[in-house]
Amino acid sequence: MKTKRLVFTAILTAFALITFYIESAIPPVTPIYGIKLGIANVFTLFALYALNPYCAAAVLFIRIVLGSIFAGLGVSFIYSLVGGIVSFLLMILLKRFFKKDKIWALSVLCAIVHNVAQIFTAILIMESWQIIFYLPVLIVSGIIAGAFTGVCAQITFVRLEKHIGNFNP
Amino acid sequence: MKNRVWIIIFSAVLLVCLGAWIFITNFNFSTNIVGIYQDNKLIKTIDLNSVTEETEIHLNSEKGENTILVSNGHIRMKSADCPDKVCVKHGDLVESGTPIICLPHKVIIQFENPQSDVDAVAGAK
Repeated sequence: MKTKRLVFTAILTAFALITFYIESAIPPVTPIYGIKLGIANVFTLFALYALNPYCAAAVLFIRIVLGSIFAGLGVSFIYSLVGGIVSFLLMILLKRFFKKDKIWALSVLCAIVHNVAQIFTAILIMESWQIIFYLPVLIVSGIIAGAFTGVCAQITFVRLEKHIGNFNP
Repeated sequence: MKNRVWIIIFSAVLLVCLGAWIFITNFNFSTNIVGIYQDNKLIKTIDLNSVTEETEIHLNSEKGENTILVSNGHIRMKSADCPDKVCVKHGDLVESGTPIICLPHKVIIQFENPQSDVDAVAGAK
């Protein structure tokens, strides 16, 4: 049964990676750095609810490392990693308070925290506190993107719930 | 908590942040300070972003007379009674360009705040 879980985690990671890669190839809609949908996080959320936190961590961090190598390792890797670590910690801490019909709310919270963490990383890296003026617009973007990915993950999880027992002994 | 409670909370945060964003984009935090020097002495500083209507500044010295025209975001030498008029032909003072210099009258107009975060912004791209 452990093999099934391993395979399921690997499939989710592959899905997340290819989504991340395709999304990074789409030109940004706004000139503001950091506004994007982050569809790849659907798979992290799904793994957290369908499997366990270790599998979710694997899906998230393997996707970040491989995705940054595919899309070109740069400063964005540090931003992705910091945002990923902070929002993942929040995710596993708050998971017990958010049942399967509140996945979207957890997703919004994590998206906001993700963007705020990235802003503070940017302030440290660029040594320019003026970046803090991007905070409101990135919180707005976090709420919208988080709600979208959260609703996607929630619908997927609720529909597949009765089959998941096969993969998670 | 119910879904509705979360929706209300997130909508409130969304509205507050949208309001803050609109406020930030409409409020001009930047300054554009220009200094006017004569005989190597700073005689006047102007924040070009806070100028609302066109004004003229007259500089008189024993060497001659200069008239500087200031409007919102722009400053230029309008007229000078020197023979070559290099400063008048210079046109608007631009941040990436050279200062306006009137050599015969020893007048220099230049930006006072070299923006050090330009490099940081360029490095972000």
